[in-house]
Parts: sequence; structure tokens; C-alpha cells
Amino acid sequence: MARCIRMLLLSCLMTLLLTSCWSSQEIENLALYSGLALDVGEPAPIEKEFEAKGATYPKQNKVMATVQIVPVKTIGTNSQKQQDQKKPYINISGSGDSILEIFRQFSIRLDQPIIGHHLKVIVVSAELLKQQPIGNVMDFLLRDNDIRPSTMVFVSQGSAKATMESNIASEVPSFHIMGMLRNRSRTSKVLKPVTLSRLDSLIYSERSFMLQNLVTGGEEVELSGAGIIKGSSGKWIGTLNQTDTQCLAWIRNEGTAGTIKVNEGNNNVITYELEDMKSKVTPKVDGDDISFHVELSTEGRIIEVWNDQAPSSSHLNEEEVSQLIKKQLKDMTEESIRKLQKKYQTDVAGFGNRLAIKYPSVWRKVKDRWDEVFSDSEVTFSYELQITDFGSFIED
Amino acid sequence: MFTRTDDKITTSQAVVFLTNTVLGAGILTMPRSITKAMQTPDAWIAILLGGLLIMPVILIMVKLCQQFPGQTIFQFSGRIIGHIPAKLVCLLLIFYFLVIGGFEIRVLAEVTLFFLLESTPMWAIVLPFIWAGTYLVSGGINAIARVYQVVFPITIFVLLLSYGVSLRLFDINHLRPVLGEGFLPIFAGLKSSILIYAGCEVVLTIVAFMQHPGQAVKAMLGGIAIPFGLYLLTAIVVIGGLSIDTVITSTWPTLDLIRSFEVTGFFVERLEFPLMVIWLMQMFCNFCSFFYQASLGISQLFKLSIQPVIFALVPVIFLSAMAAKSIQDIFAVGDAIGMMSIGLFLLVTVPLLLIWLLRKKGDQIHG
Repeated sequence: MARCIRMLLLSCLMTLLLTSCWSSQEIENLALYSGLALDVGEPAPIEKEFEAKGATYPKQNKVMATVQIVPVKTIGTNSQKQQDQKKPYINISGSGDSILEIFRQFSIRLDQPIIGHHLKVIVVSAELLKQQPIGNVMDFLLRDNDIRPSTMVFVSQGSAKATMESNIASEVPSFHIMGMLRNRSRTSKVLKPVTLSRLDSLIYSERSFMLQNLVTGGEEVELSGAGIIKGSSGKWIGTLNQTDTQCLAWIRNEGTAGTIKVNEGNNNVITYELEDMKSKVTPKVDGDDISFHVELSTEGRIIEVWNDQAPSSSHLNEEEVSQLIKKQLKDMTEESIRKLQKKYQTDVAGFGNRLAIKYPSVWRKVKDRWDEVFSDSEVTFSYELQITDFGSFIED
Repeated sequence: MFTRTDDKITTSQAVVFLTNTVLGAGILTMPRSITKAMQTPDAWIAILLGGLLIMPVILIMVKLCQQFPGQTIFQFSGRIIGHIPAKLVCLLLIFYFLVIGGFEIRVLAEVTLFFLLESTPMWAIVLPFIWAGTYLVSGGINAIARVYQVVFPITIFVLLLSYGVSLRLFDINHLRPVLGEGFLPIFAGLKSSILIYAGCEVVLTIVAFMQHPGQAVKAMLGGIAIPFGLYLLTAIVVIGGLSIDTVITSTWPTLDLIRSFEVTGFFVERLEFPLMVIWLMQMFCNFCSFFYQASLGISQLFKLSIQPVIFALVPVIFLSAMAAKSIQDIFAVGDAIGMMSIGLFLLVTVPLLLIWLLRKKGDQIHG
């Protein structure tokens, strides 16, 4: 009898386990956003209309957030005809003082709650980062539990909202930007992506860093150069061009591929394809003097040659060509370092890290004013170039 | 597999029992707690040292237990220091087991709430786990050990798989410079790196249940070596993958490491969900160990039958789990548990062994 009652009680308890998904939400009823653009605060056009009718709340418009919602409804289920007419994404913008508050404001404009589990790309406009330190702007995104730390962060020259537009039908711009990063295997002009978790450490350590820059034109997006964020203020101070970015990626030993082109004379072009690129940064400390020596080494091939003379008489001399390329490389890298030291006075090339590893005690003394110390440090270069072949042509 | 009716466990079961008792929530927060105290990337050195320190501690506990074959601390402490003081000491130990049991289940619920089931009420997560634990614990040490044997390989496999895939973020420069600030930070981190072994007091009872008590030293050292190795690996992988600046600011650094990448094309793109779900089992095992120890203690101390004690402890565990108000409270409890663990060792284990050795010597002289 007692056993019977016990079994009965147990089976009653078992029903508790059957409730299973307490917090389940149907994916069809959620607005997943895959991209987020942050701009300088000003009411979006639609918001202006709302506000004209008195639909507003107390705010100072510090930031405008645009989320790119990928409606699950339209993907896969609709007929081909409808997809042609409709873009596969919806952008919705709102302005306010707190990103979470803006997100919650979307809840009174949309029929579905927005959810950040699938956020892939965050684009922040340089203008906004001129006004606000990056730590403030990203704070919510770093704290939130939905948004994954694997989300990539970019900076945009011009409006960030514009990077979330595309004229290619059936393409979601935020996925497009993600896909472009894969081209790092072809060019070192694309920086190693800064994810939220890396950004977290960069902001916390108050060091200067680069974010991949996005430029828009004619509803197309280009990854072009890098925006510099000054560590001490957390603000955007300028942009490095594509060549600088390539050089810095090389110095930081993060590049894998790319090209060096030499213009010689009026119409002669020699293009060198980098197959392997390495760097070794050696810090030197002499009393209070800190200097760095950078050894850049590369292997590659001459893959394109334009020559005014007839092809038959245009034999390339390996030694000569190699000197030409080295000179070009020297100009490029020295110009980049000059820009960092003189124009921006920041170290975004990772020299500080090398010093911290090699001379921790020296680093401890200078780390609080590292950007200034770096600007006065001497940086020397040496280059090693190995031309492996000339494509499918034989030269001597 | 045959069902044993005697309350004995094999040597390998004893190893897994200790591992599954110690290895739990600590792995999720440990890189932060150590790095925060040290401010250098040398957490792994602190863990190495901590491991070297914990080994003799375990050895002392085993040696103490081996003096009384087949008896747990709740039974033999009376023979060393008399009944009243022994009761007090054991009650302290039982209280400790109840707090740490509640803590484990609370952390389990906390992680689940934050990452998996956002709007589920706390009690709805805590209660089923306590009930399931009650069922398991009432099966006795043999049932528990067998569940551990099943759970252990699964959890370790998923953990190692997640770490393996996370190596794509690994950068050796995040772990450099080694000893850049000298040895001083290591000592700052040493406290945290010993606290992660809190709960190893179960050695004081499981040795009594071993089928071959002669192998207790080997088994218990093995049981602590597994968490030690995994802690070391965790510190290296997490700090190497995220850098100390991220680790310090992150509440659950180990989970954040796994959340920092996506494995496109793998059968699960995001490994944090499998890891979290599987790791819940590990934390459940922790909880069951402590729940069992507490019930065993009360039943042996007051000569009660264990079943009613287990049921009576359910509300106590529940309260102990729900007492903390915020995540800060929980981490404060975690720290307190670590301190209690050290305190118990210094105030209970060591004196007990010393007094016993003195008395034995006295007996030999006078006998």
C-alpha cells in the first residue's frame, strides 16, 4: 500500500518535468536582427513624423540606432515573384540616449519583439565616435546576454545606416559585409576582424586600436582602410588609407596575402604578388630610449609586367626588380609609421605589446603615456624579399 | 551490469566521484577570479602551484581516514576527540556541505537563466534539479557513483571539444610575458586557485566506502588530478583565447570564450549551448555529492535512517540555494565557501590527525 502511494506521488511529481520549455518562443514570432548601425543622434525621417504628432518621450537624441531585421516570414516560404519585389530585410531606425531604450521603443512600433541572438555586424559611424567614447556606445552591446561576443565591429566613414542598404535583390547587407571578411585570404587590406570580445579587452586596457573602415558609394560597400580609436579618450581620431592598413597588418603579422605594385617610368608597371608575409618586431631599450626594429620578410612572384619595350627584349633582372619592390615597400611602410607617429600620435601597430612582452618592467613605466612615448620612438626597418618565380614565364 | 546491494564503490568509481564533486561551476568563473587577483596572464602558474598544494591536503585526509577502515568522519571523529566536540565539528561540516550544495544548484540556475531560459522563474529550475537529486541520493552511494561514471565521459568530451574548437582564437601572446611582474602576483592568485578545489572534503567520507581502501591514496590523488589538469587547461585556453583584459571584465569567461566564435558548417554553429546543457549535468553531480554528504552526516551523527533525512533536507537545500539575492551575493557565498574549506581543513582535519597520532603514540608508550 505504502509503495502504491509512493508511486502515485512520484508520478504526480513527474508531471512537473513535463512542462519542459517554459520560456519557449516561436522563431516565427521573433524579429531577428542581423545588423546594427549606430549613427549620430537625430530623429529618423519617420520619427520626425511621429514627433510632429506628439508621439515622443523625453530624450536628447545622443545616438541613432538602426537595426536590420531579417524577417523569417519572407525567407523560403513566399513565391519567387514576391521575393523579387521585396527586399529580404527591413531596416528600422530610432534615436534616443540609450541603446536599450531605443530597442524597447521599437517594441511599440513593431508587431514582434526584436532579438539579438543572431546579430553579426555592428557598424558605428565615425561621426558618432567623434562625439562619444566607444566605451559608452558599446556598453550595452557588451553587457547584453543575447548578443554574442563573436559579433564583428566596424566603423563607417559617413552614415553607418547607409552600409545597411543594398541594391542587390535577395541579399542581406549585414551578411554581405560578413562575407567580405572572408577575402582576407586574398588581400591584407582587410584587417583581422575585431569581435565584441576583442573590443572588450581593447576598451578595458585603454590602448589605441584600429577598426575596419567601411565606405559606401552607390549602395555598394567597400572595406577601405581603418579608423583609429584613441585609447585615452575612446574617440575616433582619423582614418588610415588602404596602403597603410596593408602595411600595419603586415607589421602586426596578421596579413596573409596581397600585392605590391611598382610604377616605373611613365608606363611600366610591375606587380608582385605576396604569397607569404611575416614580420618580426624587436624592441630595444637603451636607458630611457625605446626603439623598434621591424624585419619584414616576404616570398612571392612577379605576376604582371607592363613594359613599353617589346616583350622579347624585356627580360627582367631578378636583382633589379627585387630592389624596385623593396624601395616601394620602404616608402609604403615608412609613410605609414610616419603617419602614426606624427599625424595621429598613436600606436595601433602593436609595438606596445611587443615591448610589454620583452621588457615588462619598462612597459609598466611607460604604459600610461604609451602613445606619446611611441611617437618619439625610433622605428627602423629591414626587408627581405624572395622572388620565387615569374608566373609561367621564364626570366633570368 | 549487476546491481550491488552493499554500499561499496570500486577504485575507479572513487576517482570519478571525487572528480565530479570538485569539478563544477568553478570552471566557468575560475579564469576571472584568479586573473582579477593577479592582473597578469600567469594564472596557469598559480594553478600549478595551487595543485601542488592541494595534493598533500588530500593525502592528509586520506591518511586520517585510513586509520579507521570503513568509517566516515562522522563516525570516527568521536573516537578521537570525544562525542560532544565531535558532534560540533561534524555539524560544521554538514552546514558547509549544505551551503555548497545550495551554491552549486544556484549557479546552475543562474547560468541557465542568463543564457538559456530567460523568463523562467528561478524556483522552476531549482526545484526539478533538487527533486532529481533527491531521487538519486536516496539510491545510495553506489547509484550516485554509477551515474557519475555515465556523466563524466560525456561532460569531459564536450568540454574538450569546445576547447579544441576555440583554439582558433588562441594567441600565445595573450599569455606573455611569463612572470613579467615577478612572483608576487602568483601569491595573490594562489588563494583563488586553491578555492576552486572547495568540496574536496568528501574525501573524508568516500574513503570509507571504498572496496579496496588500500588504494585510497592513488584513487583520491587521481580524482583531484583530473580537475587539476582541466583547470590548468581552462586557464591556458581561456586567457590565451580572450586576453586578460576580457577575462577580467567577464562574468562567465569560459562561456564567453565559447561564445566568441561561430563554427560555420559544423553540425552546431554555436558550441556554448551544448556545453552549457552538458555542463549542467556536471553541476548537478556536484550538488548530489554534497546533498548526499550532508544527509549521510546527519543520519550517522544522530543515528537516524537516511531516507527521511534526505527528504527533510530538501527544503533546507532549497532555502540555501535561494538565499542569495544577486549575482554579487552568489560570488560572495562562493568566496565564503572557499574560506570555509580552508578553515575546515586547518581546524578539523589537521587537528584530528594530530590528536589521533599523539594519542596513538601515547597508547604505545603506556600500553
